[in-house]
Amino acid sequence: MNASEQDFQNLYHQYHILVYNLALHYLQNIEEAEEITQDVFVQIYHSLEQFEQKSSLKTWIYRITLNKCHDLIKHKNSRKRWFIFGTKSQSETDYLNHSNFEHPGILLENQEQAKILYATINTLPDNQKTAFVLSKIEGLSNPEIAEVMNLSISAIESLIFRAKASLQQKLSEKFTEYRKKK
Amino acid sequence: MESQDWINSVLNSTNGHQKAVPRKDLFMQIQARVADYEPISTKILWLAAASLLLLIGLNFRTLWHSQHPTKSAVVQVMAADVNKSNQLYSHE
Repeated sequence: MNASEQDFQNLYHQYHILVYNLALHYLQNIEEAEEITQDVFVQIYHSLEQFEQKSSLKTWIYRITLNKCHDLIKHKNSRKRWFIFGTKSQSETDYLNHSNFEHPGILLENQEQAKILYATINTLPDNQKTAFVLSKIEGLSNPEIAEVMNLSISAIESLIFRAKASLQQKLSEKFTEYRKKK
Repeated sequence: MESQDWINSVLNSTNGHQKAVPRKDLFMQIQARVADYEPISTKILWLAAASLLLLIGLNFRTLWHSQHPTKSAVVQVMAADVNKSNQLYSHE
């Protein structure tokens, strides 16, 4: 094993959980999260020499992961449009609206609520979803999210605020359905 | 109140979650993909780009010549004239 392969292995060990978990929260599918993790590290391997260190390595890896997730969602939506004879879906994330995903790391007693949360997050516009996932689930600070998304801190604050307001509203609508079922 | 409690429980349902860990053989799969992939060298890319440019240039040249036949006809007449006497101007 040469030096660069050893570096790559170290890099994988340092960041694979970060990449895998972000993909898992974003796509809510274990197979797809593994596929994305593979794609991300293959890209890192080939473009590590071109990494200009304008941002931190972690930020760069977050960006690659998010781009790969968006590409996969777009691909899935275009496939879905083909199946339903070309009618266009309302947003990139329509395909995932009805999430039935159970995250392996979430406490058993919270699984039902988490399912509802993921399904509701999927109805948000993409930039709100990204900001919310990075902030609330990944636990990044607003300046870190601003760097990843290449936006100002105030823009991130606004995105998170709007995401939370939208989630509140959508969840209150879901609460009435939840009450009827009970 | 009940509604807000339920909303909060949903919003906080991911709090304290454990990080998920991918399959152990994932790195081996990545290594296999990296080994399979042979990147195209920049030399070959530049060569392909230059060939394409040359091809486009030749096409334009051919098109331009086909659209300006009179000029080439004038040149032919002049050449024939020069060949006849081997002089540009006739001596009288």
